[in-house]
Amino acid sequence: MNTSAGSARWTDGAISFNDSLSDKLRIGIQLHASQFGDFGGPNLQVDWATGDYTISDKAKFAAGKVKTVYGLFNDSQDVDAVHLWVLLPESVYPTDNKSFLLSHYGGDFYGRINLGKRRGSLSYRGYAGYRALDMNGGYMKNITELSGLTFNTAPGGNVFGGDLRWDTPLKGLQVGVSAIVMNLDGKASAGSIHVPYATDPVIYARFERGRFMVAGEYKRQPAFLEFRLGPATIPSRFDAQCWYAMSSYRIHERLHVGGYYSHFLDRSRDTALPAYFSKDWAVSGRYDLNSYFYAKLEGHFIDGNGLGYYNSTNPAGLQPKTNMLAAKIGFSF
Amino acid sequence: MKNLQSLLVAVALAVCASGNAQAGNVKVIANASVKADSISGDEVKSVFLQETSSLRDGSHVEPVLAKGGAAHEAFLKEYLGKSDSVLQTYYRSLVFTGKGSMPRTLGSDAEVTAYVAKTKGAIGYVSAGAGSEGAKTLQVR
Repeated sequence: MNTSAGSARWTDGAISFNDSLSDKLRIGIQLHASQFGDFGGPNLQVDWATGDYTISDKAKFAAGKVKTVYGLFNDSQDVDAVHLWVLLPESVYPTDNKSFLLSHYGGDFYGRINLGKRRGSLSYRGYAGYRALDMNGGYMKNITELSGLTFNTAPGGNVFGGDLRWDTPLKGLQVGVSAIVMNLDGKASAGSIHVPYATDPVIYARFERGRFMVAGEYKRQPAFLEFRLGPATIPSRFDAQCWYAMSSYRIHERLHVGGYYSHFLDRSRDTALPAYFSKDWAVSGRYDLNSYFYAKLEGHFIDGNGLGYYNSTNPAGLQPKTNMLAAKIGFSF
Repeated sequence: MKNLQSLLVAVALAVCASGNAQAGNVKVIANASVKADSISGDEVKSVFLQETSSLRDGSHVEPVLAKGGAAHEAFLKEYLGKSDSVLQTYYRSLVFTGKGSMPRTLGSDAEVTAYVAKTKGAIGYVSAGAGSEGAKTLQVR
C-alpha cells in the first residue's frame, strides 16, 4: 500500500462461536478476515476450531486448529479489541506473518497447578502438530523475493512446542518461557525449499498492578534455509535476535496510553546495515467510547528496514528511517 | 497532643470500618451442588477469571456475573482487582483465543439468585442484604 500518501487498506474482523456441550467438553470456531496492504485478503479463514476436553484443572486437552501459545501475545495478536496497541512489537509479533504464527493443526495438553499462596501458580502447555505458510503472508513474499520460485501450494512442516508460565507470589508478576520447534518443506515447479528443524525460544515477564503495566520479551530465532533451483542448492541463513520492553498506564476507565521499544537484529548479517536491523519506538493511545467502540492512535519512529519491508513493493528502494502514524477504530461485542 | 491521638485513632477506626463495610457489601452464593461451605479469596478470583473450573473439594463451578450495580462494583474491587471494562476485555481475550467463554451475566440480585439456585455448579454474588433463597452462601476466608 502507498503508505506515504496514507492508506486505508487495513481492516480485519472476526466472529467466534462456542458452546459447552457438557461440564467437560467445549467446542468452538472462529472465522477471521484480514487485509493489511498486500497481505491477507477478503476471504474468511478459520482462525481456530477446537474441541476442548477437561479432565481436571491440571489436565486439559484441545485438538483441531488450535491457537499457538508462544510468549505473552501470540495467541491474541489478531484480537485487536483486547490490546492497547495498533501494532504489537514487530520484533516478536510480525504482523505480516501473523496468519502463519497464530495457530497450528494438532493437539495441546495443558493445565494449571496452584502451588499455594507463597509460591503462586504454574500454567503449562505442550503441543504437537502441523502448520503451513500463508500464501498471502510475509514469509511467502520473502521466499519468492529471495528465490524467484513460485509455489502453487504453501510450504509446511511439523511443529512442536510448549509454554511454562509462573504467576508468582508477588501480586501482578508473571514470568514464563515458551519454545517452538519446527521445520518447513515446499515444492515449486522450478525447485523447492527445505528448512530443517530449528528451535525458537522466548522468555517473557509481565507486571500489572492497578492501572500500570510493564512487560518485556526476548526471543532468538536462528534458521537455515536451503533453496533448490534445478540442480543447484543455495543455502541461506538468518539469526534473529529480538526483544521489546513496553509500559502502559490506564489514565481512567476509557483512556489507556503506553509506549514500547522493539528491537530486531539479524546477527548473521552486517548489523550496521539498515536492511538487517529494526529499532522501533512506539507511543500509543486508546479511547473506549463505550463497551463496544474504541479508537486507537499510534506513532512509530523506526530506524532500519529489517522488518516488514519488501523490495517488490518498494521498487524505488527503502529508506533507512521511517516515521508512521496509524489510526484505527474498532467494534467488539 | 491527646486530641490529635484521639483524632488519629478515630480516623483509623473509620478507615477500617469502611473497608470491612465494603467487603461486607457483597456475599458469594453457590448452587446446592457445590459441596464447599467456604471458599478462599484466591479461589473466588481463579473461578471468576476462568483460571479454574473447580474448587479444592472437586466441585465443578461456573461463574455468573451481575450486570453492573453496587454489588458488582464491590465484588470486582474486593475479589478481582479489575474494573468492569478491564474484566470485559479479559473475557474477550479468552473467547477470541478459544480459551474460555463469556460468563452468563444477569441484571439483578434476584435474577442472579434464581439462576444460581437452579443451575448445577453456578456460583455468583449478590448484595449482602439481598435474599438468596435456594442458593447457599459461601463464607469467604
